[in-house]
Amino acid sequence: MTVGTASAPARAAELSEGRRWAMPERAWPYLLVAPAVLVLAVFRFYPLLLGANFSLTGDGEQNGQFNGLANYVEIFRDPVFGSALRNVGLLILLLPVAVAVPGLLATFLFLHVPGHRFYRSVYFFPVVLSPVIIGAIFNIVLAIDGPVNVLLGGLGLRPVEWLGDPGIAMFSVVAVHIWATFGMALVIFLAGFATLDRSLLDAARVDGANLAQTIRHVIVPGLSRTIQFVVVTTMIGMLTSMFGLLYVMTGGGPGSSTYLPELYIWVMQGEMNRPALASAASMVLFALMVVIGAAQIRILRRATKEA
Amino acid sequence: MPRIGRWVIALPMALLAIATIYPVLFTANVAFKSRREYVLDRFAVAESFGWDNFATAWTRSGLDRYFVNSLLVTAASVLLLILIGSMAGFAFSHLSFRGSRLLFAGCLGALLVPFQVIMVPFFRVLVDTGLLDTYPGLVLAYVSQFLPFTIFLMTSYYAGIPRDIVEAARIDGNSPFGVYRRIMLPLGRPALVSVAILNALYCWNDVLVALLVMQSSEHRTLMVGITALRGQYSSDIPTFAAGVLIAAVPLLLVYLVFQRQITEGVTAGSTKG
Repeated sequence: MTVGTASAPARAAELSEGRRWAMPERAWPYLLVAPAVLVLAVFRFYPLLLGANFSLTGDGEQNGQFNGLANYVEIFRDPVFGSALRNVGLLILLLPVAVAVPGLLATFLFLHVPGHRFYRSVYFFPVVLSPVIIGAIFNIVLAIDGPVNVLLGGLGLRPVEWLGDPGIAMFSVVAVHIWATFGMALVIFLAGFATLDRSLLDAARVDGANLAQTIRHVIVPGLSRTIQFVVVTTMIGMLTSMFGLLYVMTGGGPGSSTYLPELYIWVMQGEMNRPALASAASMVLFALMVVIGAAQIRILRRATKEA
Repeated sequence: MPRIGRWVIALPMALLAIATIYPVLFTANVAFKSRREYVLDRFAVAESFGWDNFATAWTRSGLDRYFVNSLLVTAASVLLLILIGSMAGFAFSHLSFRGSRLLFAGCLGALLVPFQVIMVPFFRVLVDTGLLDTYPGLVLAYVSQFLPFTIFLMTSYYAGIPRDIVEAARIDGNSPFGVYRRIMLPLGRPALVSVAILNALYCWNDVLVALLVMQSSEHRTLMVGITALRGQYSSDIPTFAAGVLIAAVPLLLVYLVFQRQITEGVTAGSTKG
């Protein structure tokens, strides 16, 4: 049903009752949505406009003076921001892994591997832990003299600087992020599987399809909408919920190898005292989000209409 | 299941389960060790399960204070979120009024504006309104951040409740607010519980918003306290681990009790129809 639009009989009933209702009655819907609309207008949309404006003004002594696109030119020349954007590119490259791992696991769980209920609970459990707690745990586990390296040593391998080597650190952080969030995507996949047509699976089995063929010809087409949704939410999650991990695990270092736009915004605003520059970076992140989020809203809308 | 050895799949799944749970168990074990034990052997089970590290983290590092701050802010945010979100959800799903489509689209559109994007001007707004470094400031930050998601879930849940129920209640003489309070609020309980738990997890686990809004150390939330603890006890890993465990225990309890509601909330918006 379409939200906010009454069906024909309901509308007719409303028209006939409209005369009976006193004026304030018509105000009720507005009173009910007013707190939500006010909060979002004041604390979400007004700051967005303000930020767009900030991004076109100067910092420090030039505070508030219009300076065109100077901030944008500056951040795109800043090697640290360049590093943050390159890491966004890396996230996009690693996105298939972050989707395929939970997708494959959900397939196995759906096909009732022995112990599937237990696995489902275990895999989902890190989802409730905060990035700070997870970052802290992996600070201990991945330390240069930590258990992972002790294990490597036991195998006769040299210790790895998981968080101290600029070529490795970002992969470590992304791996931990995937470790922490694959349970979420897994559960969404399982919900998608619940809507999958069982008879197609049975037909595939009768035809003698192996697992790879079943996945390719039955499961992937049947779950296309779920896969879309997981791709979009995973990407948004990577762009907006790794701050806690980065802050605790690497602080952007070594060098600028583990920066993402959100951390760049934080550092420019809080440590460098360059709010206008941070606002320009915010607008770049916003542009990224709009592109990804437009897809999300389309999917959410469709879900509401069918509810 | 298609033809493939079940156990060929079960083995990597078991290994992954171990990889999921082991880092947490390892950290929990470290939290009970003395520094000497930790340096000598990282993997051995703690000799005596003493609570010294926990006492140090809890009282001397102020985690007790931060814990209470987190509880207060989380509780207030969740209450406001489910109240405001369910009112709006009811209006959007069952009342027709001029501009409702536009307002609903606006509320969902806020999903596109993550906190990082408006962080800098948000800070300015808090300064201008005198809400910086205050509990109401942090609560409003959380409410504004998680409201779009809450409205979306409540609207789609309420849309599944038959219109006849609302019509009947209206004919019985209830005002729209009466219908909300007497019918929609009780009927919405399953969704409200899911939304409340998810929002509680988000608020409890957040560090970015809390770092920005709470400036003075006595207003810190637990997660901010943990990041500070890391600097303080960088050479005393067992005490740091104890602090981490203190922060994780409420989450473990919530997970054990509400696992079903959490997964339902997570999936509610994803795959309808």
